[in-house]
Amino acid sequence: MSGRFARSGWLAAALALTLAAPPSGAASGVQQGVLRVCADPDYMPFSARSGDGFENHVALAVGHALGERVRFTWDTERGRGGFDGFLRETLRAKRCDVVMDVPYAIDGLAVTHPYYVSSYVFVYPRAKHYDITSMDSPELRGLRIGFETDTPAETGLKLRTLITHAKPFEIGDDPGASPAEILDAVEQGRIDVAVTWEPSIGYFLRSRHNLVVVAVPNARSQGSPEQYAFPMAMATRPDDHTLAARLDEVIASHQSELTGILAAYGVRLYRPSDVASR
Amino acid sequence: MKRQALAVALVAALSGSALVGGFAVTRAGAHQAQPAQSSAQTVAQTRTGTHSQLSLAALSEDPNQWVMPSLNYANTRHSTLTQITTQNVSGLKAAWTMSTGATRGHEGQPLVIGDTLYFESAYPNHIFAVDLGDYHIRWQYTPKEDPFAVSVACCDLVNRGVAYADGKIIAAALDGQILALDAATGRVVWNFKNDDPERGQTTTAAPLVVGNRVIVGVSGGEFGVRGYLTGLDLATGHMVWRAFSEGPDSDVLIGSNFSGPHNAGVSTWQGDQWKVGGGTTWGWYSYDPKLDLLYYGTGNPGTWNPSQRPGDNKWSMTIFARKPETGAAVWAFQMTPHDKWDYDGINEMILVDVQRNGETVPVLVHFDRNGFGYELDRRNGKLLLATKFDPSVNWASGIDMATGRPILNPAKATMAGVNVHNICPAAMGNKDQQPASYDPQTGYFIVPTNHNCMDYKAFSVKYKSGFPFVGAIVKMYPGPGGNRGAVIAWDPADGHIVWTDKERFPAWGGVLTTDGGVAFYGTMDGWFKAIDTKTGAPLWKFKVPSGIIANPMTYTHDGKQYVAILSGVGGWAGIGLAAGLTEPTAGLGAVNAASDLSQYTTLGGDLLVFSL
Repeated sequence: MSGRFARSGWLAAALALTLAAPPSGAASGVQQGVLRVCADPDYMPFSARSGDGFENHVALAVGHALGERVRFTWDTERGRGGFDGFLRETLRAKRCDVVMDVPYAIDGLAVTHPYYVSSYVFVYPRAKHYDITSMDSPELRGLRIGFETDTPAETGLKLRTLITHAKPFEIGDDPGASPAEILDAVEQGRIDVAVTWEPSIGYFLRSRHNLVVVAVPNARSQGSPEQYAFPMAMATRPDDHTLAARLDEVIASHQSELTGILAAYGVRLYRPSDVASR
Repeated sequence: MKRQALAVALVAALSGSALVGGFAVTRAGAHQAQPAQSSAQTVAQTRTGTHSQLSLAALSEDPNQWVMPSLNYANTRHSTLTQITTQNVSGLKAAWTMSTGATRGHEGQPLVIGDTLYFESAYPNHIFAVDLGDYHIRWQYTPKEDPFAVSVACCDLVNRGVAYADGKIIAAALDGQILALDAATGRVVWNFKNDDPERGQTTTAAPLVVGNRVIVGVSGGEFGVRGYLTGLDLATGHMVWRAFSEGPDSDVLIGSNFSGPHNAGVSTWQGDQWKVGGGTTWGWYSYDPKLDLLYYGTGNPGTWNPSQRPGDNKWSMTIFARKPETGAAVWAFQMTPHDKWDYDGINEMILVDVQRNGETVPVLVHFDRNGFGYELDRRNGKLLLATKFDPSVNWASGIDMATGRPILNPAKATMAGVNVHNICPAAMGNKDQQPASYDPQTGYFIVPTNHNCMDYKAFSVKYKSGFPFVGAIVKMYPGPGGNRGAVIAWDPADGHIVWTDKERFPAWGGVLTTDGGVAFYGTMDGWFKAIDTKTGAPLWKFKVPSGIIANPMTYTHDGKQYVAILSGVGGWAGIGLAAGLTEPTAGLGAVNAASDLSQYTTLGGDLLVFSL
C-alpha cells in the first residue's frame, strides 16, 4: 500500500496544482508581531484549546517561521451556522486573520498554495479481507457502509444506489461528536466499512491496528466526476493577499516541517495522481 | 500460395479499372501475409526498414485481410468486399465463435493477416492468434500486469485492439506495457513501459505503426498527469520521441515549422497548471502517407473545475498533425478551448478527399464529442466546415469559421456552484471513441452516436467543518426523443444528416461499411445489425451473448467473406448507463437504473464471426 502514499514527490505535484501567487494588495489588519489564528477549541484531531490539534501545531510552526507570536481566537466550527458561521464570527469579523485548514478550491477566501493533499478513505477491519479499491468495487454492494453526510462519500453512494443500506454520521455538524465514532462503529460491527476524510481519523487509527485504510480513487465511472482527494490550504480574508503571500513563503520554505506535523497526526498524504482516475 | 492466387483472382474480379494496382498490391500483401507459417522466414523477409512501411500500406489495400485497427491509415473502416450484399445479407449466419476469456467491456476489433486472426481481449488483455482454417489457437499470450492499473482505470478495463507490422503483433496492456510479439509464435520481441498506473495512467488505445514508428497514446490521470503521445522504434521498442500535450514548445515538439502560436502550451494556462494539464491521447491515430502527417486528438484539460484553470488550456481538446518520424508538430486545431463540459477531442480522424469549388481537397473529418462534425484541410488544419451532427447540440450555436472557436451559448456555460440544466450533449459527447466509417459509394459517413443531455453543476468546493466536499454533480439522461443513441449518415458535402437510425442505448460500437452496400454495427443491448448504407433500412440482425461496444471488421478465407465482431458490454457507457443513468425526473438514487441495461444483456467477452 505504501506505493499509494506520499513520497518525496508529492509536494511538487501539489504545488503544480496551485495558482500563481496572488498580487500584493491591501495590508492585513494584523497587530504587529502577532499571528491571529481562528480555531475550534474542541475538535480533535484538528484543533483544541489545549493546543493539541494538528492545526494548532501547524499554526505555531508558521508563527515561528514568520517570527510572530500565535494567538488563537476560539470559536466552534460546528455551531448552528456550521463552518460558514464560524468564518463569519471569526475571520470575517476580523477577530483573527487566518484559518489553517480549508480546501484549496474553496470560494470566497484568499487561499495559500496547498500544503497537503489527502483523501477520503475506506476503513474496515483487516480480518474481513474485503476487496475494496474504489466506489465501484462490487463487494460494497453487500456491505453496510457508514459515511459522513454532505460529503463526496454521500454523493458517491447515492450515484450507485448504495445509500439506502448505508448509515449516516454527522460528526461535522455536531459539536460534541468525535470523528473516532465512525471507527468505533466499524470495530463494534455496527457498520462493515466507513467512508470518511482521512485527516479526521488518522490520529485515532494509531491505536487501532486492526483497521485497514484504502484511499477512494477519484472516479467518473458513473458519468459524474467524483472527487475524493482534496488539496488543503490556509485561508485569509479575500482582500488580505499580503498575509496569504507571506504564508505562501512559509509553506514553500517550511514544507517538510509542516509535513512532519501532519504525519505525527496520522494524516496520510497523497500525491494527486495517487487518486487520479482516467 | 493457394491464398495468393485466390486473392489475386478476387481483386481481379472486384476492382475493375484498378486491376493493375490491385494485382501488384495483392502480390505484395500475400507474400507478406504468411508470418504465421514460418517465423524465421518472416523475420528475414520483413526486417528491412522502409520496405516494411510500403508493405504495411500495401497490405492494407488487400480487402481479404484487415491489417490495421481501422483497416487503413485513412481510418475509413470501409471494405471493398462485395460478397455480402443488401440482397443476400438476410441469410447471414454465425460461422464460428470463441470466448475471449475476459468479462469486461470489449472495444476493439480483430486483425486478419494471411490465414491468422489476431485479437486482444479486455483486461487481463489476453492476446490470441487463431488459425482461420480449423480455428485452433496458434498461440495465446497474457502479459503480467500491475494490478493497480485496475483501480485507476476510469471507464472500464477496455482495449481497442492490436496492430501488426514487420512480422510482429503490437499490443498494449492496461498497465502501459507496449508489447511486440512474434506474429508466428507469440514470443515477446520487446516490451516498453509507456506509462505508470501509480501515476494514474493506463493504456487502452490501439497502437498504429507508421514506417519504423509505433505510435502509442496514454489514458488516465484526471489531475496530476500531463498527456503525451509516444513514438517507439518498431525494431527495438526504444522510445524515439514523446510529444506532450501541454508545456513549453520543446515538450510539445513544436518547432519552427509549426503553423500555430508558439509557447501556447504554457501561456494559455495560469501559473504552472500546464504541468497537470491533462490532454491524454487515448483515441485513434491516422496517417497520410503522401503528406507524411500523423493525426490524433487530445483529451480534456486536467482539473475538473474550469474556474480553477483560466485560459484556453492549449493543447487540450486539440487535433494535432505531426511528422511520425520525429513527432514534430506541423499544425494544431483546438476545438473546445477552456473546456467546461468534458468534451474530449480524442475521436478518430478520417482522411478523405472531397470536391470543393471544383478542386479536390484532402480533408480530415472528425466527429467530436462536442457534437460538431469538423472538416479540416489536412495539409494545414484550415477549417472548411463544421456542423452539428446531432440537432440537440445546444452548448454552442455553431463554430466561427474564421477563428474555429465555438460560438458559445452563455446559458449553457458551466460555472462553479451553478447548476446548469439541459446541456446537450452530456459529458459522454454525441460521439465518443466508437469509430465511424466512410462509404465512398454513397459518399456518406456512417456515424455511431450518443444522444444524452445533462444537468451539470460545476465544481464548487466547500468545507463542512472537518470535511471537504464538492457540490458538483453531472446528471445524464436521454436526449430529446428519449433515445440515448443513433447511427446516422452524414454528408461531407454540406455536413447535413441524411438519415438517422435511433437506438435505445448509445451506439458505443463502431461501424463497418462495405462495397456490398451494407453497413454493420452492434448495440449495447446485444444486437449485431446490418443496414442499407444508402437508407439506413434494417436488413438483418442477430442477438449476441453480450452487448456490443466493439467494431465490426471483415475478411475473406478460402474465398469466402466473413464479418467479425467482439461482444462484451461495458466501457464508460456500459458502466454509466448500467448503473448511473437515471430518468430526468427521477431523483438521484431513486431509480436503480442498473436494471435498465441488465434487462437486455450481461457481461462476457466473445468473438463472433458470420458468413453467408
